[in-house]
Amino acid sequence: MDIAQIPDVVAELTAMIPWKIIIPVMILELILLTVAIVDLVKRTETNGPKWLWLIIILGFNLVGPVVYFIIGRRPH
Amino acid sequence: MQWWTIFQKELLENWRSLKWVWVPIVFILLAIMDPITSYYTPVLLEQFGDLPEGAEINIPTPTPEQAFMSSISQYNLMGLLLILIMTMGLISGERKSGVTELILVKPVRYTNYITAKWASTLLLVLTSSFLGLLASWYYINILFGDLPFSHAMTGFLFHSVWYVLVITISVFLNTLFRVPGLVGFLSVTSVIVLSSINGIFKSQFEWLPPQIHLYIQTFLNSGTLPTDMWITTVLTILLSAILLMLSVFIFKKKELAS
Repeated sequence: MDIAQIPDVVAELTAMIPWKIIIPVMILELILLTVAIVDLVKRTETNGPKWLWLIIILGFNLVGPVVYFIIGRRPH
Repeated sequence: MQWWTIFQKELLENWRSLKWVWVPIVFILLAIMDPITSYYTPVLLEQFGDLPEGAEINIPTPTPEQAFMSSISQYNLMGLLLILIMTMGLISGERKSGVTELILVKPVRYTNYITAKWASTLLLVLTSSFLGLLASWYYINILFGDLPFSHAMTGFLFHSVWYVLVITISVFLNTLFRVPGLVGFLSVTSVIVLSSINGIFKSQFEWLPPQIHLYIQTFLNSGTLPTDMWITTVLTILLSAILLMLSVFIFKKKELAS
């Protein structure tokens, strides 16, 4: 493939992605992620080291924040 | 009214622990993931599947009813697991940490304490599952075709009956044991056992609670509510009521003893 063609291919692929369908899903996942991280940062103490929770929340889509909410938050 | 006060306290606590944020989001995602992936899998395979020349992919597109049913199956698996893990410390965790004692030194009636906790969890879970199935219905109408709104809502209502039982089982086990992990393990086990019993005896006794999913499917396909569905529903609600009363009874006995 010619290097000059790459932008065209990228544009073609982007046009194929059904944004109307995908964007709501992305927004919901983003909210979940943001809420989890804001909570993690504000919290003085968590169950287990904070940096580990950060990796879990960022590394595991959907599952990470949920696991954090269930077992990571330590009640004040 | 005392019950209302405790109920509001529970709602506030669920809000503070962010459950009112993440539980609805997770339920919506659970409900819409399956219809979306089943719609796009053939497209993705065709574009990026690296299939040999001339290979034919024949994945039949699900009907709107099947797609909606896939959301409900997702609820029945992941949703169920989520509810049971979320509620495993509902009462047992508070007893372990001593919060229960703090509440019960005041003249709080045990019945109010248990039922308010039960009701606040129910409200959270059913609202979330409603929002999820609403989103699923919306997506299905865009991707797969027409699914009557009334059908989706009827599916939601009957599925809720099953969730009521599941939450009641968890509350019941919460009053029996003090260790949240044990409660979680036993509640998952009891739901699996209940489903297995139903699998074995469904030809002899067709009104066990897990059977309700089959009737929801029948309803979605035919549009009529089978009589067996009503019997199953009544039995499930009855079983939940008995379990809830037993929970209060056991809790009273245990708290008075300790």
